[in-house]
Amino acid sequence: MAPIIRIENLTKKFSSLVAVDHLNLDIEDGEILGLLGPNGAGKTTILLMLTTVIKPTEGTAFIGSYDVTREPDKSRTLVGIAFQEPKLLWVSTPWDVLDWHAKVCGLPSEERKKRVRWALEELELWNERHKIIHTFSGGMRKRVEIAKILIQRPKIAIVDEPTAQIDIVGKHRIWNMIRTLRDEGSTILLATNELYEADVLSDRVAIMHKGKLLVCDEPKKLKDTILGGDVIEVILEKDVPQKSLEELKKINRVVDVLTTEPNHLKIYLNQAEEVLPQITEFFMKARMPIKSIHMSEPSLDDVFAHYTGLTIEEAQKK
Amino acid sequence: MISLRKVWTVAERDMRMFLQYKFLLIMRGIWFIAQIALFGLVVNRMVSQGVQDSVGGDYFNFYAAGIIITMLYSTAVFIGYDIYEEADHGVIEYLLSVPVSRKELVIGRSIGGGLRSFVYVSPMMLFILYLIGISSPLQLLVAFASLFLFTFGTAGFSITLAVSIKSSDRFDISLGVIDALIVRLSTTLYPIAYMPSYYADIARFNPLTFAADLFRWGAGIESTFLTSPAIAVFGIVAFFSLFTSLGIFLHERKIEGGGWQ
Repeated sequence: MAPIIRIENLTKKFSSLVAVDHLNLDIEDGEILGLLGPNGAGKTTILLMLTTVIKPTEGTAFIGSYDVTREPDKSRTLVGIAFQEPKLLWVSTPWDVLDWHAKVCGLPSEERKKRVRWALEELELWNERHKIIHTFSGGMRKRVEIAKILIQRPKIAIVDEPTAQIDIVGKHRIWNMIRTLRDEGSTILLATNELYEADVLSDRVAIMHKGKLLVCDEPKKLKDTILGGDVIEVILEKDVPQKSLEELKKINRVVDVLTTEPNHLKIYLNQAEEVLPQITEFFMKARMPIKSIHMSEPSLDDVFAHYTGLTIEEAQKK
Repeated sequence: MISLRKVWTVAERDMRMFLQYKFLLIMRGIWFIAQIALFGLVVNRMVSQGVQDSVGGDYFNFYAAGIIITMLYSTAVFIGYDIYEEADHGVIEYLLSVPVSRKELVIGRSIGGGLRSFVYVSPMMLFILYLIGISSPLQLLVAFASLFLFTFGTAGFSITLAVSIKSSDRFDISLGVIDALIVRLSTTLYPIAYMPSYYADIARFNPLTFAADLFRWGAGIESTFLTSPAIAVFGIVAFFSLFTSLGIFLHERKIEGGGWQ
């Protein structure tokens, strides 16, 4: 079956900055594809090109069978977006914003009212429906933005950091709503820099860094690409010399060692439980007191680190 | 293929937005009253009999009709300020992402920006017509239809200017200068016969002149310039077509999200 979104060589330059660099990616009908990367990775720029808000410098994308550069009007009929920053006039009310959005998307009057009411109630905004948005908190504005896409129920729903500024209860509610949207027939393109969000929601995750696609696959398969099924994170009281790192790598079942900070190590290995005593012994002998030690399975952050040598947090800072 | 439903949905949004600017609406109303009840009455006493005769016997009527056109113009250009307000809040990006073609968006906004101006000025227009009296309802209908187009064209002009400049400060300054020129180089406030010929030549092609003369013709005031209402109607249609097309062209070819100041 042909993909519902086909991205071919998509590039966007802002003067000398290459925000998206020759991206190629297919998105299948009915899947949730997580676009994961630090701020500045190019995620939002991709979404803006797919929604025809900005034009590609090079390459194109097909939404269904429509080319976004040649048939932008037709491609927009299949897509809806909830922006990262809520796009709302502060003098408007949630009811006006959502009712107009439903109207411009072509919903008939009765259905429109029903869906607007449903979304406002689900997102706990019903009592505030006639208040001006100027009085709203960041989280409330974000919920109004999300409501647009829940009302529209487009064939392709694009959500850019849908749970930023939302509390944990609200996050779970929005995740469930996104899943429901998918179950009702929408394909979801989710841009996020939250690892957990990408992990729990996405069927596949595309990891971006500096405008480039590093890798795209199911979260489990991505984690499996990291040699060694476990991770031991060690924080030491002093910095680790290079020589010690080399010695650590020689320990049996240790696959790789990554320094995220001079005194902060991530050791990728197999059967961590059995190797852990050897590792603690190694640091004791080397007179390097351990501040904390933590054992876990690899996360998408480890996948990102595997490809870039940086955690997402570090990449964000840079 | 343009969907009228979508055009109207866009227009309706702009009309609704206008009601949010209560302060502006009240202030413009006060401005109108001051222009008519203060300035108009005083100036009417100042002008000579020669001038009174040249505008059909009553300069006040001539002036009041002109003020209506300046009101229509100044409220129709307000849509440009809306665009900057929207750019501030990222709403431009949102409007570019909804399932509406750029043509429908620009036409809808021109109609919305124009229609809201027309609706807002209507009570003032009716008041002026009450003062002047209506001699030919058919002529008045033609004039109204043309003024509709004039407000749509003015809104299209403001949209075109706003999206070309992309800086609210520059837009504000530019509009101030354009406003000074376009109003003063027209027959809204004084008859063309009293203009130096090099000004009169420009005023003859000014859309405000077309609109003012048509309104006066519609109200039965003798116009000193208009020899053929058809020329004025044609001028207004050309004005509307030019700026609507320019707005569509800019939106289709040039406009992208971001980059607004």
